[in-house]
Amino acid sequence: MAQVAVRLEDVHVDYPVQAGATRKILYGIDLEIESGEFVSIVGQTGCGKSTLLRLILAEEKPTSGRVLVGGRERSQPDRYCGYVPQRYSLFPDKTVLNNVTFGPEVTGLNGFSRLTPEGRKRLREYREDAMRYLRHTGLMDADARKYPHQLSGGMQQRVAIAQALIMKPPVLLMDEAFSALDPGTRAGMQRLIHELWRESGTTIVFVTHNTREAVCLGTRIIALAKEESGEQGSSVALDLSVPHANFDSDEEEIRRLIGEVEAATLPRSASGDACSQSVAVHAGSSD
Amino acid sequence: MNLLRIHAQPGRAATWTLSWFLFAAGVALYFYTAQQRHRENPDDRVTPSVSQMVQAFKDAVSKPSEEVQADDTSASQPLWERIRTSMLWTDSVATGRRFLISVALLFPAVLLGLQMAMFPYIGAFFLRFCLFFDKIVALSLLPILFIAFGIDELSKIMLIVIGVAPTIILDTYNLSKSVPSEQIVKGFTLGADDQAITYRIVLPQIMPRILNGIRLQLKTVMCFLFAGEMIASTDGLAYRIALLRRHMGMDTILPYVLWVALLLFLVDLGMNVLNRKLHPWFQEA
Repeated sequence: MAQVAVRLEDVHVDYPVQAGATRKILYGIDLEIESGEFVSIVGQTGCGKSTLLRLILAEEKPTSGRVLVGGRERSQPDRYCGYVPQRYSLFPDKTVLNNVTFGPEVTGLNGFSRLTPEGRKRLREYREDAMRYLRHTGLMDADARKYPHQLSGGMQQRVAIAQALIMKPPVLLMDEAFSALDPGTRAGMQRLIHELWRESGTTIVFVTHNTREAVCLGTRIIALAKEESGEQGSSVALDLSVPHANFDSDEEEIRRLIGEVEAATLPRSASGDACSQSVAVHAGSSD
Repeated sequence: MNLLRIHAQPGRAATWTLSWFLFAAGVALYFYTAQQRHRENPDDRVTPSVSQMVQAFKDAVSKPSEEVQADDTSASQPLWERIRTSMLWTDSVATGRRFLISVALLFPAVLLGLQMAMFPYIGAFFLRFCLFFDKIVALSLLPILFIAFGIDELSKIMLIVIGVAPTIILDTYNLSKSVPSEQIVKGFTLGADDQAITYRIVLPQIMPRILNGIRLQLKTVMCFLFAGEMIASTDGLAYRIALLRRHMGMDTILPYVLWVALLLFLVDLGMNVLNRKLHPWFQEA
């Protein structure tokens, strides 16, 4: 039986608004993500996709319920989860190489140990390792000396992925990581992340508002649907039982799946059966 | 008129001419006024002529101040020794020393602002006090400082620190807060601890903006320094200007004012060059 990487148990998130009132963002989310899965989280703007990701990152706490990552509740983001956000993913003051070696350096070398012969040796190893990751993500050696602002958006995200993967995190969280890229670059990045996932076996949680991207990448899709209730709206998670497509699948099949997922993300009536269906099915086949 | 349109594009020659026009107009206006006044009164001291100013500046650069001229043996000294003991040099060194100590004391303010932004309990402890202190007019504290610290160097330096530090603290606080939260989260996911996030991610990112902030505060630092020197000092550029005011020594005061402006310009230029050298990634103009 596969190990559970992430588990959410009856998670509710409310945000305080004016005059003591609260706004419900997530409602009763139950979710289990097994190790090695590639889970796409889709939903309309404002449905709580990024909130869900921040819960897994432990950057945010649920109002009620539990979020277990690697079997335990975490108090703040740590090395267990790698993170690739849409923007600001790289440190602007560091070169590409230093961005990628930052993690190994900060965890492997402390204080003045980098000045010792042993420290210098390890630094060299980190750099060689970083160069391997950079090449693997499609960057050239000359790019390593550049600063992030000298790279295109696609190249920056390649570096961000290398920066996250070099730490070998059991879970990689990607928040609209390719949303700001042009369609051509985006397609290339989708293939790259899919390839890296197959090689590394890392659990990937991929938040996107692009249904095609979710369908083609994920082995499983979590659709967040907004539940309308009076003036408030909160989201429930629907674990969709859709057979997994990939980039080479029949276009008609991909379109059919997109239609199915998009229908699931439409706002739902609170009086309907939507809530009872939340995370009822754990499905989705891997390729 | 096309010249005043938003989309107007002045050529290189026009830009150069326009940028120097006000300088030329100011100089011309001064010399016209000086000429008129000297025609009426050849001994006029309010608007000295160029030759008077050049002579006064030469004296300032080559002769000690009147206070120490009594035991002067400078005429036989080598040129460098004469410059080193000259009025301008000793005044510049005295002011420069106070200025450098004051600027150096502003760096703890940077660290405090950074800590306040990064660690909520430290922020809660200091923020309200700093906001309040920032509103106090530092010059109004001058008598208190003289009473508390005496009229020596400490009171002048404290005046600068009290006058400028709250602004630097709050500026650093705001800059640190403006670092995107994604960067902090990213740091944690890469294994960094609180100190590494603070000093290896946030501080390097805001450092160029902090240096620019300090550059903008240089004139304020000089204003407080001059206030202190003018009121209670026995040396320094501002002391000399205040002293010469009593003797209507405009032929020395004007070169001194230009000298101070030049020094400040050079410090600003130096910090700008240093900033660009240290932070080649920094894109802000």
